[in-house]
Amino acid sequence: MLTRQLSLSAPIIFFIYLFQEAVVNQFKLPGGGFSLFMIFALVWAVISTPEIAALTGFAAGFLMDMSQSSGGPVGQWTLIMILICYGVSYLGYGDGNINGNPLGVIFFVVMASLIAEICFVASGALLGVATGSFGQILLTLLGNAIWTVVIMPIVLPVFSFLHNLVFETRSSL
Amino acid sequence: MRYGGEGRTRLLLITLIVTALFLITLDLRGVSILNGARQGTQTVLSPFQKAGSTVISPFKNFVSEVTHLGRTRSQLEKLRADNAKLKATLLNRKNADSQLNQLKGILDLAGKAGYKVVNARVISQGSSQSFSQTVTIDSGSNAGLKKNMTVLSEFGIAGVVKDVYPTTALIMLATDPSFKIGVRIAGTQQIGILSGRGSRSGSLQLLDNLTTVKAGDVLLARGSIANRPFVPGVPVGYVTSVDNSAGEIAQSGAVRYYTNFSTLGVLAVVVGGPVNNPGDALIPPKPVPTPIPTVTIYVTPSPSPTK
Repeated sequence: MLTRQLSLSAPIIFFIYLFQEAVVNQFKLPGGGFSLFMIFALVWAVISTPEIAALTGFAAGFLMDMSQSSGGPVGQWTLIMILICYGVSYLGYGDGNINGNPLGVIFFVVMASLIAEICFVASGALLGVATGSFGQILLTLLGNAIWTVVIMPIVLPVFSFLHNLVFETRSSL
Repeated sequence: MRYGGEGRTRLLLITLIVTALFLITLDLRGVSILNGARQGTQTVLSPFQKAGSTVISPFKNFVSEVTHLGRTRSQLEKLRADNAKLKATLLNRKNADSQLNQLKGILDLAGKAGYKVVNARVISQGSSQSFSQTVTIDSGSNAGLKKNMTVLSEFGIAGVVKDVYPTTALIMLATDPSFKIGVRIAGTQQIGILSGRGSRSGSLQLLDNLTTVKAGDVLLARGSIANRPFVPGVPVGYVTSVDNSAGEIAQSGAVRYYTNFSTLGVLAVVVGGPVNNPGDALIPPKPVPTPIPTVTIYVTPSPSPTK
């Protein structure tokens, strides 16, 4: 069952990654823009079991590390995304107020995205990755959070629909 | 704890974390297999990025213009009337014209200095999620590009080649926080180091405590041994403010880059340096202020007072 679900998830994850790299990254949006791929991985994690969430985090983080615009060493995003995806899923699993409520999912994803970025900056400082001035980091974090809030209501129904298709759940957001 | 926390999940989590830490260790130790994986990913992605760039161009320009709406409102108002008639034609030509102008500027700059350049189109902006400032161009090692080559825009320095793939290359922009370039001040020849700060403004640190810098001073690339990573004489930017705080060993200041990094469409990579150092020859001319016509009105009092 798990193998079937993972094999169905893989092309979706890869397609979203391709869309992020080929289309979303083309836009130079104010405030640093948003990462559709990260939003997808976090949504997927929030509405899945912790096991699936950890695997999703691993796959998403590894692909983010493979992106040539990733400044850190390979594995940095992988580690962060495993922990964040597992964390949001662990906190929300079985709680209908969180993973059954669109507002709960949006809140969780925005916060998780913000925490992931902060973790990247903090771990980057330890690993010697230059991340810019404090003001620029703050601007990127704020811009990313705002863009995530704006984008989430648009993409959440799509991602939820895809999740239902793969995991054959009846409830939808 | 809402979830049962089965042993299998914990084992999986630990395995994944250990794998991630293993990857970080391998990368930091410089194991080439990971670089190969990144190159492979880029080779797969580049055709999609090129296709995406072509399809997205009109929308990309639209978004770029929306973000500058406040500054160009008056200009937009003026153009609106003409725009309705020419909209369809303009939409198709705008991108090509913009790239042509950039290319002309780059070739003028490179020709004046005697640089041998390879021109390339920007096909992808790097994601800012990793706090790095990069772009991808559609020329790579097949066109003779190598790592650590100077990258020019029509106005001056744009960045340096960070990674090269067969058909694409990753450019670290001069705004990237880890970008550093040795510069000299045109005229006085004082030297310093300019660092990127994530925005169009860079940070200048002079090396000699006996020299001084002032706002408006023009900075040029000092050049490197064998012209890599930087060829000499490339205009970099101009000093906007100087920090004279007590306790500083040497003066520092803020610099505004000549290149507008939000509108990069065409770039040139310098594959062959100049025979002679161009010196200060590439300093861009100062903008000539447009004279404002003044109208003088002489009022002659009428002989009879008005009622």
